[in-house]
Amino acid sequence: MNNMKKSIRRVFWILAICFFLLFGYMVHLVVVQRDGIITNSYNVRLNRDDATIQRGSIVDCDGMVIARSVLQADGTYVREYPRYRMSAHITGYNSMGKAGLELSENFTLLNLHNEILQRVQSVALGTELVGDSIQLTIDMDIQSLAGDLLGSANGAIVVMEPDTGKVLAMQAYPDYDPNTIAADWSSLREDENSPLVNRGTQGLYPPGSTFKLMTALYIMQNYDNWEDIQYTCTGEASFANKTIRCYGNTAHGDLDLNGALTVSCNCFFAEYATQLGQDDLLDTMLDMSMLDKIPFDVATSLNRIGLSGDSTESELVETSIGQGNTLVTPLYMAMFASAIANDGEMMTPYMVDRVIYSDGSYGSSASPDVFQKIMSDEEADLLTDMMVSVVSSGTGTAAQISGYTVAGKTGTAENATGNDHSWFIGFAPAEDPQVAVAVLIENSDKYGKATPIAKQMLEFALNQ
Amino acid sequence: MFDLLIVLSRYVFVFYIILFLWQGVVYVAYEQGGYFGNPFRAISVQKRILVCYHLTAFLILGYNRETLMYQWQVVAFGFAGLVFLLVAMYVLNRFYKDGCPLIWMGVLFLLDTSLIMLQRLNASLAYRQLAFIVFGVFVVLCIPRILKLIPKFEIFEWAYIIVSYGLLICTLLFGVSHYGSTNWLKIGSITFQPSEIVKFLYIFYLASVFRKKVDWKEFLTTGFLSFGLIILLVFQKDLGSALIFFVTYLSLLYIATSNLVLMGVGLGSASIAAIASYHLFSHVQVRVSAWQNPWSDIEGGGYQIANSLFAITTFGFFGCGLTKGYPTVIPVVESDFIFAAIAEEFGVIFACGIIGIFVMLLYRGVRIALDCGRRYYSILALGITAILSFQTFLIIGGVIKLIPLTGVTLPFISYGGSSVLVSLIMIGLLQWVCIYCKKHGDGTQGKEKKTPSAKKTASTKEKVEVNEVSGGEAYE
Repeated sequence: MNNMKKSIRRVFWILAICFFLLFGYMVHLVVVQRDGIITNSYNVRLNRDDATIQRGSIVDCDGMVIARSVLQADGTYVREYPRYRMSAHITGYNSMGKAGLELSENFTLLNLHNEILQRVQSVALGTELVGDSIQLTIDMDIQSLAGDLLGSANGAIVVMEPDTGKVLAMQAYPDYDPNTIAADWSSLREDENSPLVNRGTQGLYPPGSTFKLMTALYIMQNYDNWEDIQYTCTGEASFANKTIRCYGNTAHGDLDLNGALTVSCNCFFAEYATQLGQDDLLDTMLDMSMLDKIPFDVATSLNRIGLSGDSTESELVETSIGQGNTLVTPLYMAMFASAIANDGEMMTPYMVDRVIYSDGSYGSSASPDVFQKIMSDEEADLLTDMMVSVVSSGTGTAAQISGYTVAGKTGTAENATGNDHSWFIGFAPAEDPQVAVAVLIENSDKYGKATPIAKQMLEFALNQ
Repeated sequence: MFDLLIVLSRYVFVFYIILFLWQGVVYVAYEQGGYFGNPFRAISVQKRILVCYHLTAFLILGYNRETLMYQWQVVAFGFAGLVFLLVAMYVLNRFYKDGCPLIWMGVLFLLDTSLIMLQRLNASLAYRQLAFIVFGVFVVLCIPRILKLIPKFEIFEWAYIIVSYGLLICTLLFGVSHYGSTNWLKIGSITFQPSEIVKFLYIFYLASVFRKKVDWKEFLTTGFLSFGLIILLVFQKDLGSALIFFVTYLSLLYIATSNLVLMGVGLGSASIAAIASYHLFSHVQVRVSAWQNPWSDIEGGGYQIANSLFAITTFGFFGCGLTKGYPTVIPVVESDFIFAAIAEEFGVIFACGIIGIFVMLLYRGVRIALDCGRRYYSILALGITAILSFQTFLIIGGVIKLIPLTGVTLPFISYGGSSVLVSLIMIGLLQWVCIYCKKHGDGTQGKEKKTPSAKKTASTKEKVEVNEVSGGEAYE
């Protein structure tokens, strides 16, 4: 009988633990997982637009309004976007479904601060019910310049603060006017240029020669005495089934790693990638968080890696110089440049700085968060030195800014259209990085290169 | 104005359930020798909370925002519910004088939650649910009389298991399908779930066999027969019930033998069976993949769980207020997924409070099993407690995506006649065991213990255990 009591107690504790697991998981759901779950577009509660509540505004880092709700004469609210297309891919839209921050911050914008007080005042005094507003890290001056520089070229510009992960600007073209989204809906949906897609976070492009930064890192990590490498570039090199040429068939002559990156020599990187093998390159790419889902305020695409571990040599050669099936988003490349600028620490990007309550008080500012340490301090310094020589004496001289040392890497990505994409990623000042940028221009033969645009972006952002 | 009241009501409901649980703590503390307050007062406070809870909810539900009037059907139903609550509180205590009042209060709170949620989700179901509940309580009131007529119902062990097999085989042959499981029988215009009744018979069967010394013979016969029942349930695609039967078997076997090796054998064979069923049955694979990642197939297999998670998380700790949510987008929300609806409208704190009430029932049930002097009744009490608790864990865990979903009902709250009826009868039986043991188990101690005013001291506790041991041996 005593044994039985002991057993009964044990059974009780097992069942009790089951119940405590339920408690724990419920709290975990609401505290930790909530933000990720509720903004799913299948959640019908997103469409609960309570007509009696004034949806909160979205303002930039200086308080400039980029989205607000205005009371009409008939007592309903209308959503206005005073900057029209300039902030379209950031705010997203709030009719015909939701996108952008209107989607991810929906419940914040509809949240009533001091709800009971507001409702009592509303009943007693007839005041409006006002949702919380949000202040972004976006600077509309930089954002507007990015929009002007892109003009009518398809592409994207992402500007970040390397040591915090704050996104200062995120511009993509083609875009749309969120004020007239309902009227334009069918034409926007059918447009084969997909203007509703944010190319900054969802566009996937071959990285082109900007990828050589990763190949260079992989050579540094895996090649003993890489400082002693001497290679003679003849402008052309042959591998199994694949012959590659340097850009413009230029023979670069004798090169070390630094020199090869400065002039962006294809033959050099292909040669050492084939010598070292694809397994380590794949490891390096994974170490760079290329396949990790980026937690961000708007929808992002996942990068793709063109190596599988048993890829052919020609695939390896293509990958090592950023061509082939490896695809990246401009946001990721901005994060990668920021990580080099920030001693190898890749920061989690964010756009929402803080909440502004309806009574005018502020919530606490978002705190920067390290996404992953992707390389050592020394490796980051070495890459920075190489990127500085790219701008001072290599392919990126168009990015020079007087009074500042700029570090960067250019890229030209071949693609199916036959009309190359142009890349530039970089940061400045190299000694104490303040701004990092990634610029991508699709089909750049028609619209001009990324490097001069990146120069203007960096210069403007540094002077802000 | 009405919006403001609904916003405020969210806090009131949370206040109700926390106070309700606290009164339970007060009662238990007194019994254990602590003192937070008068235990009799605690129970009467619980009664008042229950009435207030009922009134608050129906005042919100009955109001029509368009006409600014009260809907008479809802008010009338609310009144009927109130009358039921008051009568039930009175008669249950009268018919089960020495039963545990906390169990009755907890069960009534859950039943009332069921009426409120069903009125909000689908009023016609609420009317039928009230009819089931009233009938269930009536049956519960008859239990002591019926059991008086059959003094030794433990000797019918073979009858229990034969009827169980008969019912399940009938279901397999003539069953009707609902929600993908063929676990309903139709007789005339009445459909019911035989597996619910079998649950009940099964506990009786196990308790009858395990009341004697358990040897290899008993282990093998019970194991073999239980395995057969579980296989029948798996063929009906009623995985939840199969799992409940299995866990019941294991826990009763364990308390009857205190043998961890047997437990190990049982768990090992169960793991093999679980892996085998995963590979054999496509519906098991669907459930598991919907649990692993409901988001990848929201329009297909993950739809229910994804919507349940939206409902639970969107409005956070205090919920959106009664009538303000969107629980009806979840398929089968009245039955299996009613917990998600509660979490959405009453908030996650309140939903945790509901789990708290189930914990309270578990604790009281185990207390009865522990205090009982006779092996047979002890096993019976624990069987009932374990079956209800585990079923609760299974469905709530499934709804919040802690474990893969198995379609079982949430005891006392989910809509369903068989479920409510059988759960109520089980609780009635538990209370009867409580009373019976106090009367017969251990003479004078029993009388002392029946009111919480009799504080237990260390020495009386020892005496109780001595008596219990002798009682058990005498019986064997």
